[in-house]
Amino acid sequence: MPYQLENQPADVRESLYFPEIFRAIGLVIRTFWRNAFFSRDRNPDVLARDLSRSRVTTVMYPEERTAYAPGYRGLHRLVPRADGNPRCVACYMCATACPAQCIYIEAGEVENDPIEKYPKKFVIDELRCVVCGFCVEACPKDAIRMDTGEHPAPSYERVGQIYDEKRLLRGPPVSYDYDPWLRRGADLPGDGMKRMRDLARPFASDAADEFSQTPGFSVRALASETKAAGRGSK
Amino acid sequence: MKRFVGMWLVIGAVLVGLVALFYAFYALAALAAGVAASLGAPPFYGSAIANTVTLMAVLLMTVAALLTVAERKWSAAMQDRVGANRIKVFGTALGGVPYLLADALKMLTKEATYPAARSRLLFELAPVLAFAPTFALFAVVPVGPSVEVLGQQVALVVASPDVGLLWIFALAGLSVYGTTLAGWASNNRAGLLGGVRASSQMISYEVSLGLSLVGVMLAYRTLNLQDMVAAQGNSVLGPVPALGILLQPLAFLVFFTSSFAETKRAPFDLPEGESEIVGYFVEYSGMKFGMMFLAEFVEVVILAGVVTAVFLGGWHPVIFEGLLRANLPPALFGAVCATVFLAKVVLLCWLQLIIRWLLPRFRFDQIQALCWKMLLPAALLNLFVTGAAVLIDPSLELLAWVGIAEIVAIFGVTAAATRAPARAAEHGHDHGHAAHAAGH
Repeated sequence: MPYQLENQPADVRESLYFPEIFRAIGLVIRTFWRNAFFSRDRNPDVLARDLSRSRVTTVMYPEERTAYAPGYRGLHRLVPRADGNPRCVACYMCATACPAQCIYIEAGEVENDPIEKYPKKFVIDELRCVVCGFCVEACPKDAIRMDTGEHPAPSYERVGQIYDEKRLLRGPPVSYDYDPWLRRGADLPGDGMKRMRDLARPFASDAADEFSQTPGFSVRALASETKAAGRGSK
Repeated sequence: MKRFVGMWLVIGAVLVGLVALFYAFYALAALAAGVAASLGAPPFYGSAIANTVTLMAVLLMTVAALLTVAERKWSAAMQDRVGANRIKVFGTALGGVPYLLADALKMLTKEATYPAARSRLLFELAPVLAFAPTFALFAVVPVGPSVEVLGQQVALVVASPDVGLLWIFALAGLSVYGTTLAGWASNNRAGLLGGVRASSQMISYEVSLGLSLVGVMLAYRTLNLQDMVAAQGNSVLGPVPALGILLQPLAFLVFFTSSFAETKRAPFDLPEGESEIVGYFVEYSGMKFGMMFLAEFVEVVILAGVVTAVFLGGWHPVIFEGLLRANLPPALFGAVCATVFLAKVVLLCWLQLIIRWLLPRFRFDQIQALCWKMLLPAALLNLFVTGAAVLIDPSLELLAWVGIAEIVAIFGVTAAATRAPARAAEHGHDHGHAAHAAGH
């Protein structure tokens, strides 16, 4: 907050000028000594750094990264069920809520099921997205989340920023007790239905619930795990 | 802790490397002197040519170029930053040194643009006039002592004329032309303003620059820088060496300040004034700008060199000197002394960088007031006091006492003036207004 400084005449120390310069030289030499001869604390949590020696608070960005805040809204993902299909039921709530009108959905009917729909196309234009998170709030099925902790990857073409359902569908699956497809049953090979029912949890009424936030989930970490396991796509 | 050890290892390695380098310089100078003698010329010619190449083209240019890197890294350390580190060689930033090559490449390959209404000849001439006189200043600065190497008596100094200090004044005066002509020839308002500011500032400070050194001339009774450095090895007051900073502390402050102003660097960087007028080199690009830029850093190094030679005992190691002289072969002793000289120079460059970052730019009237109302009277006072002291006691002992008294007075005033406001600041934290009221 700005405050008014009284205009004071220079006191003895200030009008002598040189004593202050000598004092300041000592100050700068101390700072130089600390920073040049002692290594920087590399803790990505800058506020928790040990500044008793080096006072540098730089985060060397590409090599070091600060953790995003828990509420950070990253790149969207379509949340899969345990069987790999999207949880999305193509209700258009997100597309309706979207202020940037960047979500395009084409609904299709699930075969052998009289009432359930699925998105034949689910496209988000990340160039138009304003990252407001309204789609996540609007979704009645917890089918779209912004918990990847990622930015949309840069691309040379505009097409690269248009994410379709194949690119959006990723991350750990989510199942809730109330999911209608669990209650009705679905046509899954083997014990797929049982696994889905085992995964199911009560619906979170609290937004800070662990399960609803998928804490620590990051597509980048998933990708590196995949790569380490030798299952890389390329 | 790893960095702490590593820094000292690097410093040690650089010092050892410098000793080896200066040893090679001595050998080169001696070889060249031998060649000159075999051709029938005075051996001094040969060593002078060798020293021109080694000291001016290699040493001075390298130090000045490295100073551009140091300015980045040291400034960063002073401001709690990391500094230039994006160019990596084998995964390490090497302390930012690769930026040197990147800078050179950038300067050399950038397009040189020319203002259409320039004064053609002067526009081309100005960078040369800015660069050459500063560069030639280094010729009289003695880097190493005169020792016998390979049967030849050689010293690491290009020239040792009896007019040494006058040479410095003359060439320092000439370097005004480069900046002023650059501003004039660009046919640009900002450039001209920068040039005019540069000329007024540099001509003003030349007065106190010259006057401050008259006391030193009186004390050592010579203008020759090599003799002056040799005289600083003599002792006054028992074992204390007759260093210029001891005999002439006031002259040191005045000379350092005025030559700082001559380098046109912050806080005296009105001619550049990046935030208001870009400066006298506003229309220059490519390597022409590079020369202006490099001239500034060369000036910094030369200022440090002259101050070292005149006030800090030049190549004298000051402590252990007798021990080194007695136990080392002459060439190695010379190399160690030259390394000591370079270490002092680098320390002074570092000090200039510190001052650059702790003072804001002066206003123009403040610059002129500092010169004419503070430095000039101080230089005159110093001249009278020195003259009287040397007249009364030619052995310099009285002058040394006067100098010690001056140093004690400066430190005393500093201590006295800094202690009181520190208390006031503490009070100000607790109950600001009461302390303010009590302070005035």
